[in-house]
Amino acid sequence: MGNSKPHADQKYIEALLRNDSKVLAEIYERFAPKVVGYIKKNSGDESRAQDIIQETLITIYRQATEKKLQLTCPFDAYFFLLCKRKWINELNKSSNKEVTINEGVVSIDDESARFAEETELYAAKHELFEEMFDQLGKACKELLKTTFTIKSLEEVAQKLGQSYGYVRKKKSLCIGQLTQLVQSAPRFNHLKNLL
Amino acid sequence: MTPEEKYELFEKYCRQDLSVEDKATLDQILTEDEAANQELKVYQELWSHLDSNFTTEKQQQELKDNLKQIGDSYFNTTTTPKKSKVIQMPKWAYAVAASVVLFFGVYFFNQGNPTYDDFATIPELSMGERSNSNEDAKNVEKVFNAGDYKAAENYFSSLLTEDPDNTQYQFYYGIALLEQNKYANATTVFESLYKGNSVYRYRALWFEALNELKQEKYESCAGLLKKIPEDAEDYQQAQKLLKKLD
Repeated sequence: MGNSKPHADQKYIEALLRNDSKVLAEIYERFAPKVVGYIKKNSGDESRAQDIIQETLITIYRQATEKKLQLTCPFDAYFFLLCKRKWINELNKSSNKEVTINEGVVSIDDESARFAEETELYAAKHELFEEMFDQLGKACKELLKTTFTIKSLEEVAQKLGQSYGYVRKKKSLCIGQLTQLVQSAPRFNHLKNLL
Repeated sequence: MTPEEKYELFEKYCRQDLSVEDKATLDQILTEDEAANQELKVYQELWSHLDSNFTTEKQQQELKDNLKQIGDSYFNTTTTPKKSKVIQMPKWAYAVAASVVLFFGVYFFNQGNPTYDDFATIPELSMGERSNSNEDAKNVEKVFNAGDYKAAENYFSSLLTEDPDNTQYQFYYGIALLEQNKYANATTVFESLYKGNSVYRYRALWFEALNELKQEKYESCAGLLKKIPEDAEDYQQAQKLLKKLD
């Protein structure tokens, strides 16, 4: 996202990457109250708020590990927006009808909104990929797990008593199959332009 | 080109493992076939997703566990304090519990004096936020809750050197001593607590009574129990014990 310098709040992203308890506790201290207040005002309670906060932080962590997330906006609005939308989604899921909630808790600048959208898109893809992965056969799942955990295909081949070429071919076929599953998922059409 | 060959090229591309010829073949496919272009994009996204997911699986779990802890401690300390932990028991456990109660009932009926073990319920130690930043705090929580009171005593000694007025440390330190039958030391700790004004005042009084009970000093035990006021957490237990001592 651009070449601008990271915001000082990038430290919260780094804390997630390092699993730094001290700074993570600070995230709760500084940013949780607003989220809790919002969720409680909109048919939720503290325990739901705790879940939403944790899930949102994990999503940010995933995006940061895979896509090297560099914040150029304050964490505050970005994080709040993510938690809020996640909560609205939950409400929609459980009530089966569109829930619209008054937006005006914080003013959201464009930059924060853009970052939040990026993260939401990432989360949506992640979810789709996980679901499709689940539909793969057992053999493919295991092979992919093994080949991505043990990076060296030679080692995997040795472990499975197969040739290097065979393992690479199998692996590529499994990801190929997964590619087709993803492409044929109805939800994929919404995401594909954004890849 | 078969799909198998295509995917193998994609795989080599993602692994940055393409030979010069492979690269030429792939370039040609990509310029001629828009669908293959799209497919490679998705393949690449999936590749990066799987790679990141499986590589960081363990760290992700560790982060989740840690966030759960930090969240628990944040939500317990800053907002409506939860009174006590409710442990969900399976239905059969109620039957077991009932028969245990029945057994103890019969047991006591036939026994004379109540004992320490009948009445002592060791509270769980939660150091909250501190356990995230302080190694000793983290460790003491672990060993105390695991019942290693010798180790807990050592950690508390060092924690109390740094923070001698911390009444939570003092209270649990006292319990750790009592559990090891270090009666006199435990008394010193509990006494200073119940003569003070902290939230542990009456809890300390109750535990000092248990300390006396453990030493079978029934009279001084009863004396202390009578000082526990009605609104104290351990009042009911204290009354029950008093009855047994009569």
